[in-house]
Amino acid sequence: MATIVACYKWVLDEEDLVINPDRSIDVSHARGKISEFDKSAIEATMQVAAQTGDATATLTFGTPDVRKSLKDALSRGPATGYWVGDAAACDADALVTSQVLASAIRTIDGTSLVICAEGASDTYARQIAPRVGALLDWPTVTSVIEMKVEGDSITATRKLDGCLETVTVNRPCVIAVLPAGYEPPIPGLKAVLSAGKKPLHELGIAELGCDPAPAAKVLSSQGFIANRRNVIFVDGDASDKVTSLVSALKKEGMLS
Amino acid sequence: MNEVLIYSDKPSLAAELVGFAREEEHDVTIVTFSPEEASELVGCGASKVVLLDGDSDIPENNARALAGLIDEWGVSLFAVGATPRGRDLAARVAGYLGCGMASDVSAVHLLDGKLSTERLMYGGAMVRSEEFSTPVVVTIPSGRFEAVRGVDSPLETIVIQPDMRVHLVEREPLSQEGADLSCAPRIVSVGMGVSKREDMALIEGLAAALDARIGCTRGIAEERGWVPAEQYVGISGVSVAPDLYLSVGVSGQVQHMVGVRDAKVIVAIDKNEKAPIFREADFGIVGDLYAVVPLLTDALVTAR
Ligand SMILES: Cc1cc2nc3c(=O)[nH]c(=O)nc-3n(C[C@H](O)[C@H](O)[C@H](O)COP(=O)(O)OP(=O)(O)OC[C@H]3O[C@@H](n4cnc5c(N)ncnc54)[C@H](O)[C@@H]3O)c2cc1C
Repeated sequence: MATIVACYKWVLDEEDLVINPDRSIDVSHARGKISEFDKSAIEATMQVAAQTGDATATLTFGTPDVRKSLKDALSRGPATGYWVGDAAACDADALVTSQVLASAIRTIDGTSLVICAEGASDTYARQIAPRVGALLDWPTVTSVIEMKVEGDSITATRKLDGCLETVTVNRPCVIAVLPAGYEPPIPGLKAVLSAGKKPLHELGIAELGCDPAPAAKVLSSQGFIANRRNVIFVDGDASDKVTSLVSALKKEGMLS
Repeated sequence: MNEVLIYSDKPSLAAELVGFAREEEHDVTIVTFSPEEASELVGCGASKVVLLDGDSDIPENNARALAGLIDEWGVSLFAVGATPRGRDLAARVAGYLGCGMASDVSAVHLLDGKLSTERLMYGGAMVRSEEFSTPVVVTIPSGRFEAVRGVDSPLETIVIQPDMRVHLVEREPLSQEGADLSCAPRIVSVGMGVSKREDMALIEGLAAALDARIGCTRGIAEERGWVPAEQYVGISGVSVAPDLYLSVGVSGQVQHMVGVRDAKVIVAIDKNEKAPIFREADFGIVGDLYAVVPLLTDALVTAR
């Protein structure tokens, strides 16, 4: 039986980042989460498997903490969770991540389809699917909003700038889906409970033969601070607040 | 010398990337897969234009062959226009070359064999500066550099072998029904706080009173389809720079707000006092939009 592998990234929740007055970034309060769009990749995997009856798995590469993500990932349906947890993930760029994922995919027996999201919510670099495709030398189709799978043949609809494109491709291949086509449902209680019993496989960077040295050298990371006036009308009834706002806008010359 | 190699599926963006290379005085070559585009690109100021003739209808299918040429030619920087196709092709080339890549950069310099870049992270909450050694790939969005015009550059044709494993069945244009917000002086932006489609009439009334265009958040365009996709603002939509940006029922997540950083005045109406939009607004009203918007519309009609 063939296996469909959904790749996802465990990211810091951007809403928990604290930007200090000196524009340094405090991540100590940030919780981890599966990148929103990657939930759509998992959902797409489940939808394709429902058409084909293939086996399903998830694959992630992160710091050793990434193990915490497996329960959430597997509660979304896939049967097996593969993970690579290594401190090197802290500095990994898309070059390193794609090498780790591609090497891991080679070890997962019978993988015939890899499904990724377009990009992760932290970097949003949108490199992983095409890079993994290149490393495996499998054909790759990105920006997919719809797929029909019959045996090894996939008909996919891509949403690009100004056009919809329909293509066909045979497995094995890599697909990157857009969230629009694959809204992820919230896992039910039963799914969450059974996720804890699903098999997990840890893989190591060394055993996969990957070089953890990134090509990107980070020089600096600075938080963005909005410099706005923050004149907010909170009290009074709606018409008072509207009057205050309109007079403020008038003063700004916005209504002439 | 093949210092900088440029590709974009949008010829106007390829021309902007030549502008970048010329600004830094690099030798620059443009590649294209289309004879029609090649004749358009010869006037863009590159040292030469190379038509890679591979007879595939899908530009991305040429990535593997192109990576081979980039290696053979000793290209330092492969700069690609940041469009869906461009990002895909660029990342595949980086994958085949096993080299670094910077996506959607807001600043880029190539100096002494090092590429330095700036890009946004976490939807715009963070700016990251990075450095790469060459060869390296970069994607650059439109609007960063001025296109240059030049004397016609020589055109060369090279036959390549595309990867034909992805077949084109059909291509259907999406009607560009949306308004162009990039130059709009006033924008009223609608968020998921507007609960029913018929309530869009309220927003349209407010926009008319202000003589404003309508923008929106991603969910309004992509999930609900109430506003054309060209009009959603943010990191994956458009960036705007109006005099006045007035948002209604928009929570102000960073992915949206990054698109309005250049607005002169930001006004927010939201019922949640703690909504992040109020931290990034110049003026705001905390209140139910269904009470505030009709009153505001009337007051604006009277005031103007
Ligand atoms: C990688 C990535 C890229 C993204 N790119 C974009 C992008 O380009 N553009 C974009 O917009 N989003 C983008 N998003 C999504 C973004 O994170 C937010 O989810 C989105 O902007 C929120 O839209 P919203 O403010 O309309 O909805 P919500 O966050 O749901 O906010 C609705 C607001 O309406 C208020 N409200 C509700 N009822 C009322 C009422 N009766 N009166 C007044 N106020 C009311 C609520 O208090 C709330 O503040 C992206 C996300 C990711 C992960």
